[in-house]
Amino acid sequence: MRAFFASVSYLWAASVLAQAVVCGILVYRGHFRTLPFFATYITLNLYQAVFLYGVYSRYGFRSPEASAAAWWSEAITLVARAFATVEILRLALKSYRGISGLVWRLLGGISLLLLICVAIIARGDAGWALMHADRGYHMIFAAAVIACLTLIRYYQIQVAPVYKALLAGFCFYSCAKVLIDSILPGLLFQRYPNFEFIWQSLAMVSFLAVLVLWGWALRRPLPEKAERAVLPSSVYGRIVPEINYQLRAINEQLMNFWKIEEPRS
Amino acid sequence: MSFSMLVFIGMGVVLLVVLGWVSFSNGGQKPEAIGSLRQEREWRHISYLPQIKQALTSADYDFLTGRGSPELAKRVRRERRRIARDYLSALRTDFEKLLRFAQVISVMSPELDVAQELQGFRLRAEFLYRYQLIRLWLVCGSAPSEALAHLSDMVSGLTVRMETAMAELGERTALVAELASPYNGGGPDAG
Repeated sequence: MRAFFASVSYLWAASVLAQAVVCGILVYRGHFRTLPFFATYITLNLYQAVFLYGVYSRYGFRSPEASAAAWWSEAITLVARAFATVEILRLALKSYRGISGLVWRLLGGISLLLLICVAIIARGDAGWALMHADRGYHMIFAAAVIACLTLIRYYQIQVAPVYKALLAGFCFYSCAKVLIDSILPGLLFQRYPNFEFIWQSLAMVSFLAVLVLWGWALRRPLPEKAERAVLPSSVYGRIVPEINYQLRAINEQLMNFWKIEEPRS
Repeated sequence: MSFSMLVFIGMGVVLLVVLGWVSFSNGGQKPEAIGSLRQEREWRHISYLPQIKQALTSADYDFLTGRGSPELAKRVRRERRRIARDYLSALRTDFEKLLRFAQVISVMSPELDVAQELQGFRLRAEFLYRYQLIRLWLVCGSAPSEALAHLSDMVSGLTVRMETAMAELGERTALVAELASPYNGGGPDAG
């Protein structure tokens, strides 16, 4: 128990230190001006860590006070994280008005769809309601952002590595949280009485890895804003439907491949 | 382990895999492929259509079977099937280039029609599925020469219509030719 607690404490300290370093980079490099929501998110995380350390020290890890403090502070940081992500996506796609419009719709659509799915999956399990809510949020978040990244890849838009690293970090942590929260309770709950410490440790190691990635990505100046040539709307309205019409015709032709008799030799 | 746990674990693993693919694949970094739209607009494979049509006509096989030997006809048919497969690959390249052209226009447009974009995704998925089926069919020994010719005509027709549309756009075409800029590392996306 003591060894577990010590290891979690070390990880906690390392995580706080890493967050402080990322905060420092954001201030030193002046990134907080371009990424105010991201800077707020990191700062809130830092405050959350210090705040929870105080709460756990005073009330104990398993007390109702500690639980309430943990969940409420988590909810606040999750909201901040959503704002930070939207901010990064907006910056990455600022020069692509049409694509960014598509991305926002995709983000909204997938979030709504998954929200319904998660609500259906988690219903009737009141004991784990908060757990499901937290995990569901991470799932929705990761799926929506990964869908946006896939769309960006489809259109072969080059997103600056720093923004890509920030988004990938968010997604990785959310995926890791979903897996950790899903696998560990079922696996360890009945075997190890102190499974929370293993759980906490794994979550913190994932976040620590993400912080290292962010710190590395943010060490350089952010890319400058540049204007892109924009085509008149009429070009899109004229050419893209034409291409789609022809592509559909090609596909129909392909479908007919099976119906055409093979020439006899 | 409950059903919901399994769903979450499955989705978590899938998301991690997709994230890895999106992060580490270099789909958005193909300057050599998109460095010049003029090159993309050549769509040269179509020009070999008459030769491919000739290669797949049954008259040749009848002639070889009658004047030569069945073995010779068989060998020639095998060779020509291979050529047909290569030609099918070339048609796919043309298809992809045209689709890429549409994507570049989408990227540069201030507003997109979601329905058109979704149709583009769907068409690409359909094309790839059918292409793989036909390729498999060719590998297995069938030679749907007429169907291949129809397919070639379709791509050829598309090429001509696209060229006409672009010519009508006049000066705007020159603007489109600058589309390579978003991909060549300039601007906010260059890191």
